[in-house]
Amino acid sequence: MTQILDDYALNSPLREKNNWLKIAITAFGILVGVSSNSPVTPFIIALCMSIATIHFSKVPAKFYFKILAAPAGFVMVSAVIIAFFSGAGSEVFGFDILSHRFAVTIGGLNMAFLVLARTISGMSCLFFLSLSTPMIELFSVLKATRFPDSFIEISMMMYRYIFVFMEVAMGIKYAQTVRLGYKDFRTSFRSMGMLGTSLFIRAWEQGEKLYISMNSRCYDGRLILLEEDRPIKRSEVALTSAYFIIVLVVFYSTRNILLI
Amino acid sequence: MTILETRDLVYSYPDGTIALDNVSVRIDLGKKIAFVGRNGSGKSTLFLTLNGTLVPKKGEVLFHGEPVKYDAKSLRELRKNVGIVFQNSDDQLFAPSIYQDVAFGPTNLGYSKEKINSVVQSTLDYVGLNPLKRKPPHHLSGGQKKRVAIAGIVAMEPEVIILDEPLSNLDPVGADEVMDLLNELNYFGKTIIISTHDVDLAYRWADYVFIMTNHQMIGEGIPEDIFRNEELLQKAYLRKPQILEVHEELRRRSLVKANGCPKDIPGLVRILKEPELMWVKVSPDVKVGDSVNLGLLHGEFALTYPMEAVNGRVLHIHEDCMAIVELSRHYVRAGSIMIYDTDHHDAGFLELFIAHGDVDTVGAMGKRSKLIAERDNIHLDITSGVIDRSILNALCGQRCLIITHGGMIYHAFERITQYIEESGINIHVDIINENGDISTLATACTGQVSCVQSSEEHSV
Repeated sequence: MTQILDDYALNSPLREKNNWLKIAITAFGILVGVSSNSPVTPFIIALCMSIATIHFSKVPAKFYFKILAAPAGFVMVSAVIIAFFSGAGSEVFGFDILSHRFAVTIGGLNMAFLVLARTISGMSCLFFLSLSTPMIELFSVLKATRFPDSFIEISMMMYRYIFVFMEVAMGIKYAQTVRLGYKDFRTSFRSMGMLGTSLFIRAWEQGEKLYISMNSRCYDGRLILLEEDRPIKRSEVALTSAYFIIVLVVFYSTRNILLI
Repeated sequence: MTILETRDLVYSYPDGTIALDNVSVRIDLGKKIAFVGRNGSGKSTLFLTLNGTLVPKKGEVLFHGEPVKYDAKSLRELRKNVGIVFQNSDDQLFAPSIYQDVAFGPTNLGYSKEKINSVVQSTLDYVGLNPLKRKPPHHLSGGQKKRVAIAGIVAMEPEVIILDEPLSNLDPVGADEVMDLLNELNYFGKTIIISTHDVDLAYRWADYVFIMTNHQMIGEGIPEDIFRNEELLQKAYLRKPQILEVHEELRRRSLVKANGCPKDIPGLVRILKEPELMWVKVSPDVKVGDSVNLGLLHGEFALTYPMEAVNGRVLHIHEDCMAIVELSRHYVRAGSIMIYDTDHHDAGFLELFIAHGDVDTVGAMGKRSKLIAERDNIHLDITSGVIDRSILNALCGQRCLIITHGGMIYHAFERITQYIEESGINIHVDIINENGDISTLATACTGQVSCVQSSEEHSV
């Protein structure tokens, strides 16, 4: 079975920690990272969050860098384009293609670095949250933030059935593969279409069955949430405040520092 | 005391297909009930009428002697007391975590938060899943999911728990755990109803059994009666429980004491016959452990068969060459197995052969051959486990006919010859119409028939 983010979150030691603390750390990281003018602060945040995820949350480093590589690759390409097409100032590097000048300016390069740093820091903050807090815990956070009940209930059921349908889809896909359903482009398309159709029908049937099974247990529009009191420990407060202070100090002292 | 009852229940699906046809059942309080029938016989539909999910077209459902009403309040009361565990756990477990799923029922019953918590905790402890309570259902094994599904129902403290195919897709250990749980619940006074097509399970577990086929109730009773009724089982497309078949074969070989009906292996062991001992005079050179041939016995000395070969194993030698021997009896006449190939089917010949060929049992193997037999009105004694049961019958001196076709002929032939080689007991086996060679056989057969007729004339 393929491991997904939620599976790591469920087994993470940080799962036991207070949800609000984790959300605060994530929100703080994102806000400070985005509002920083210098690429240094976001890089520090990204570093801290990555260490927290790998060390405290016990996520395998290989897996972590793999999932980080996807947005990182994307933002690298964007950074190159930004470097060439934006900003002003003296030229660092340039060349002509068909008598058209392509050049990287100091302003463009700084902008590219900043975008890169901000994106990576934002992503690492989000990964910190999603690899330490499973969906189950987030539902009670949603409840506490006074989201409408029906919204939360529907999302809880959706969450549950994503996995049921994923399993069904994987089963069907396997059954198609062993009968050469994906041998070339044309058959792949046909098979995918069939997979989609049967999943749709399954979802419909599942809905009917779910309705019966909920009714059999006297459903009257209330689902309970898993709420557990998790007091924040002193050591956690100390560590978090230390992190906040360091980041803020870096933020203040590097506010005008650019890489080049 | 009857807790649940249905009277002449009729239900048909919106498209008109009949799902329940005049079904009347009475379920007694505190019993373990099994509804047995092959897939699609109407068990699940019946269950959904028992908790008011489906409203019958005709007839009524009674809970504690009161007809069920279908207004919201009565339904709530009924569903609180009649819990259903569905066949596929994924249909039932919809909450993102196990705790939430088990808490679902109690929440809907309007319990206070503290009460919900204590009920859920104790139920999870009871099914042994407390350590997993914060996991999502997709992280559990099939057996664990099933136990969560049961816990979700138990948490509502119903009087009756209905389980649709509780052991489907479970591994043996998971299945045992689920059955232990059900037995325990029953011990604490819950009425447990299951549906199954596993005759072995129904036979060994249930107090009372209902047999369903084609949306009708065709039999009910205690398992010992129901599962010995071969006609009923055949009508319901079921087979005998394995342990009863073993018992049957042991009884035919007089290896077990007179009538008993073992439910499990200890029960079977208990009724095994002790060795038959006898004083015999032996020659002086016989030693302990030797085998002595006591010859052929017939008449009143042969216990089971017309003619028995009796051997004795010497256990102890007394003075004067008197010895205690343990007797073992073997019937002398082995029967035969004839295989008929329906690829070269000739209805007239087959009918003639069955009528005059001294055939004791007829079995059919493969859907095509069974259909042919059905079409030509050939009564089938055996429809499942045909080869093995034919061998067993032949060993008891019967002449068995197997109607089959294609590759199964050679499979049957090989299986039987393999048995002959392994056991050293010769059973005559023959393919009676090989390669469409009916003409010669037919003449041979008619010759035999005419011979039979002439002998009849003679006797007249």
